[in-house]
Amino acid sequence: MRSWTDRWVSAAADLGHLLRFRSQTVRRPRAAALALASVLAVTLVLAVAPAWTTGIPADRLRLIEDLLPAALAGFLLLGIGASMGGGGGRELLPREQAAIHPIGPVTEHLGALVLAPLNLAWLLQAWTLLAATALVVGPQGLVGAQLVVVLWVLVATAVAQAVGWSVEGIRRTRHGVVIVRAATVALAMSLLAGQVGGKLDDLADVLPTAALAESLGGGRWPAVAALLTALLVAAVTLGAVPARWALRKPPRDELRVESGVHEARPTPVARFLGEDLALLRRLDRGSVWRSVGMRRGLIVLGLGPALVALGAGLPWDTLLILPGLGASGAALLFGVNAWCLDGRGMLWRESLPVAPARIFDARALVTAECLVVVSAIPVLAGSVRNGLPTQQVAIALMVCWLVVVVQVLAISMSWSVRRPYAVDLRSPRATPAPHAAMFGYALKLSMVTTVTGMLFVGAAGVDVWWLPLAFGVPFLLWSGVRLIRARRRWLAAPARAEIALTVAAG
Amino acid sequence: MTPVIDIRDMHVRFGEVEAVAGIDLAADSGRATALLGRNGAGKSTTMKVLAGVVPPTSGVVLVAGHDVAADPLSVKRAVGYCPDVGGLVPRATPWEHLQLTARLRRMPEWEARGRDLLERFELGDVAHRVVGGFSHGMGRRLSVVLAALHEPHVLLLDEPFDGVDPIGVEATLEVVADARARGACILLSTHLRDLALEACGSAIVLRGGSSVAEMDAAELTSEAYRALLD
Repeated sequence: MRSWTDRWVSAAADLGHLLRFRSQTVRRPRAAALALASVLAVTLVLAVAPAWTTGIPADRLRLIEDLLPAALAGFLLLGIGASMGGGGGRELLPREQAAIHPIGPVTEHLGALVLAPLNLAWLLQAWTLLAATALVVGPQGLVGAQLVVVLWVLVATAVAQAVGWSVEGIRRTRHGVVIVRAATVALAMSLLAGQVGGKLDDLADVLPTAALAESLGGGRWPAVAALLTALLVAAVTLGAVPARWALRKPPRDELRVESGVHEARPTPVARFLGEDLALLRRLDRGSVWRSVGMRRGLIVLGLGPALVALGAGLPWDTLLILPGLGASGAALLFGVNAWCLDGRGMLWRESLPVAPARIFDARALVTAECLVVVSAIPVLAGSVRNGLPTQQVAIALMVCWLVVVVQVLAISMSWSVRRPYAVDLRSPRATPAPHAAMFGYALKLSMVTTVTGMLFVGAAGVDVWWLPLAFGVPFLLWSGVRLIRARRRWLAAPARAEIALTVAAG
Repeated sequence: MTPVIDIRDMHVRFGEVEAVAGIDLAADSGRATALLGRNGAGKSTTMKVLAGVVPPTSGVVLVAGHDVAADPLSVKRAVGYCPDVGGLVPRATPWEHLQLTARLRRMPEWEARGRDLLERFELGDVAHRVVGGFSHGMGRRLSVVLAALHEPHVLLLDEPFDGVDPIGVEATLEVVADARARGACILLSTHLRDLALEACGSAIVLRGGSSVAEMDAAELTSEAYRALLD
């Protein structure tokens, strides 16, 4: 029997082989290397430059300092949400491809940890923590403080992963799905009750991360770093236990969808956009909501930020950023490779006598629905906490929301027709494109929508009602042009055939 | 009389790869023709062109009198196509697949025939389950059902026997016989020579993206077929 260390060494070696294999399949290695270098450069700039920033009002700085414990805890909470939504963690190889290889659960666990940063929420939050720490601490003691923050990010990722595997393990037990759903709803209700009762206002003061935030910039950082390193080793090691437990069990949630009865509804009668489009949309909606991963992802993306908006009481200027991030997250569930909903059925669908434009419109509408729903929930939750916004903020919010939804839709559909991938989204651990591509997509979508959101934050702060509208028009026109270009490309038979052959090859 | 399927000097290129290098092929109504050949011979690509899914790079391809390059929608209306792999939307049920194909082909009274076909292919019990959980053979059977639902003028079956149990094979042979009896043109691609001979009256052998032989199925002995492949 192999020793404990042998198992870990072997798992780490397997991880190396699999990562090398995946890196060889990257379609544009130069672009991937450039993106990675850019991310590292941005990370470095955000971790250092704010420390030398001057002119920030003292009350603003104080607010950032006060919010730091909540932000540190939020990183852990959203990490847990992501790993829970992703069925434990991302997979190194798609399930069908991995089935023929002897890949153990420890390798899967390590792989999920390595791939965790390839996530929009993870990256943005890590950057926010680094930038906020640099602002609060300043040049003195910056290195120690940032080391502590980086270690916290790693510890939180490992702990979130362990929790994710544990929840997935519970989900795969006999009544696990019901237990997990009930516990999630109970937690959400408790937070809501706490908010309504006014008990969440002082939550930040009692968070365990308050002590961690307090240590930043102080002389205790070597001790804190040592403690976090020990915690990291423990979390990574112990995380393999629930991973092994969960991965040994059959995925009940998926099997329930596949073996359950889904009675078809009658063919829709004539509607505003026509019966064909209505039926195509219904089929596409079914492909989204019957996928365990997409359903969970949409719920987590909608409710996660909503709970943060409720609990932490995000101000309106922060809420203006959320629709863009929510829409980006939703697009990353399937929209960036929208044709993957058809999987191997795309050849059959392409053989049906329907105008190609109808197919494009149905897919774009269903993608847009998901973007709208996910981006709306946090804003509605924020308005529950903040009350009605001023007229200026309301106009900025509505225009910003519309702009980012159309923007993300146009970008997603454009990517879908230009760079299709064959993927099987049966497993919640699967992604609609290879990891390197997903990383690039996440980066671009988050940057575009954040910059757009910031612009509208500025417009909301100026008392000129037409300013947000003036900002919105060029954005909408550009996104509209992009969407029309994507549609035109889809309408060309050779391009459509290439997409169908690629997607159906999975 | 113009054949129902009329291919003249058809080329299909995917980038640098020439999947089909100048095929000439004709098939008439009321006949079932087997398309045989090794892997990569161009059988499935030819089927995809005839189904209106892939446009030919050059050449003339007419299906039921419609040019596939100029009028793919009319071609799709005339054709029933069972693709070589998968061919099913993973999170839709068989009934939803039938519902969509019936709607898009403007078939108001389709349910009785749909139910009958599902029963004949022993898929009646799983009509409302998502196909993602189906075995390979079940998927192939459903693909044949979908191709046959609207009683098309042209029935294109690409590897319909692949991984299918004897009952499914029998039901597929019945579908081919029915289609032939009502005057449809059937093109059936397979690696299984014996089943091809049972289902079809004539055979066309492809090699390296070109047609190398056309003969009555009865003439295609095992030795002759082997010689044509090498």
